[in-house]
Amino acid sequence: MLSVIASAEFKLKYAGSGLGYVWSVVKPLALFTMLYLVFGRVFHLGTLSPYYSVSLLIGIVLFGFFSDATILALISIVARESMIRKLLFPRLIIPAAATLTALMTLLINLTVVGVFIAYKQLTPQLNWLLIPFLLLELYVFTLGMGLLLSAVFVRLRDLLQVWELFLTLFFYASPILYPVGYLPPWGRRIVFLNPFTQVLQDIRAIVLYPDLATNRITATDAFGTFGRLIPISIAVATLVVGYLYFRRQQPWFAERV
Amino acid sequence: MSPSEIAIDVDGVEKEFRLPHEQQTTFKEYFLHPMRRTTVERQQALQGITFTVEKGEFFGIIGPNGSGKSTLLKVLAGIYRQNAGTVRVDGRLSPFIELGVGFNMELTARDNIRINGTLLGLTRREVRERFDEIVAFAGLERFIDQKLKNFSSGMQVRLAYSIAIQVDFDILMLDEVLAVGDQEFQAKCFETLAAIRAEGKTIVFVSHDHGAIRDHCDRTMLLHDGRIRAIGEPEAVLSRYDEIVHPVGTPS
Repeated sequence: MLSVIASAEFKLKYAGSGLGYVWSVVKPLALFTMLYLVFGRVFHLGTLSPYYSVSLLIGIVLFGFFSDATILALISIVARESMIRKLLFPRLIIPAAATLTALMTLLINLTVVGVFIAYKQLTPQLNWLLIPFLLLELYVFTLGMGLLLSAVFVRLRDLLQVWELFLTLFFYASPILYPVGYLPPWGRRIVFLNPFTQVLQDIRAIVLYPDLATNRITATDAFGTFGRLIPISIAVATLVVGYLYFRRQQPWFAERV
Repeated sequence: MSPSEIAIDVDGVEKEFRLPHEQQTTFKEYFLHPMRRTTVERQQALQGITFTVEKGEFFGIIGPNGSGKSTLLKVLAGIYRQNAGTVRVDGRLSPFIELGVGFNMELTARDNIRINGTLLGLTRREVRERFDEIVAFAGLERFIDQKLKNFSSGMQVRLAYSIAIQVDFDILMLDEVLAVGDQEFQAKCFETLAAIRAEGKTIVFVSHDHGAIRDHCDRTMLLHDGRIRAIGEPEAVLSRYDEIVHPVGTPS
């Protein structure tokens, strides 16, 4: 049921547009080009490392997933108002399908990242097999946020504005454009609380293995040997809280949407 | 009557909607006046609803607009949670109270059958197996790969109904659904409803069509202002409807 709904939504997203799925690649690439010109060239961040461009693209693509998935999930329950009012089915399917739709876009975008990686002649390493698990962690975190947001949005309709603003701030607060090594140690401890930053830096550290050590700082550098457990627990806790809150609210969705 | 013959047992169900006059759903209001209670209008949508539907019965519900018919169906389906009372349902209840929920106009009839069928609880495999039957019953073979937005509303209802009756259920709830189809399709629908009954299944049928209620229902219930005003033989209930809703001698 989940996959039927998610693939239908994915199909719908590009229905009627001439380029179809190509749009899901064009958007992050356009953003990447602009940010690379401004920060990589004008502000010379690109001179630090030959891998700045790939590093930036990985950040943009992962952030794009988090942003798309949470926004789609946030509006999903309210947008399916008539379905909620007239049909009994597991409500959880709706926000879950929204995040899966975003996940499909992410997979397409990752192939573009793959092209960049091949162009930089980075050869696959055994520890690249960890990447799917890191993406799973990011998905757990994203789904948890999505469930929470979708249920709260039913009661508090300003949430969309607030969340869009939050995402913009989140983008600059996360080390997407700049190396995390630029932050002071206390700043690193703050950003690595975020599972998104931990996943992003772990993937960069694995994929861009010949890069400078300061560009490959991970949660272990911030919190010690088992430092990763902190953001991982936060990701899992987000899913648990999101799920429980959603489950408590769902009997009332039909009369509140 | 032994209890095992009862399909739906509704006892003392109350449903109240709280309709805030000024809805406090924005941050500004929440932060500016966190303590202010907005005035809430309580609307008693259902009061003291107690009735049973027997297995295999064709049970009609009538009542003017806003009398609580749809609210009652939603409570039965579990879409709304009642404020008081109990609902006991023996058997699988059809999960929809309206047809064609989740239809998407931008997708083809083929895709919509897959999605709608899945939403109504069919597995992928069941949808595949029953696909041809759905299309044939709707009589839409030629249009199956057209987008739904090019369908007339009658064609959409035909498609929706054809999917709905392929869902496995013991109790079918229908809310004012057959009004849009043409004569021929309506006749076909009542034929299938008769076949569904012949299998011993129960039908709860909400309609404004007094002719259909008179012709098909075993028993009928009249709702008015959220209360049961009459229940029993369709003929008697329909004349009670006229007395209550269109009282003789009062200009309307």
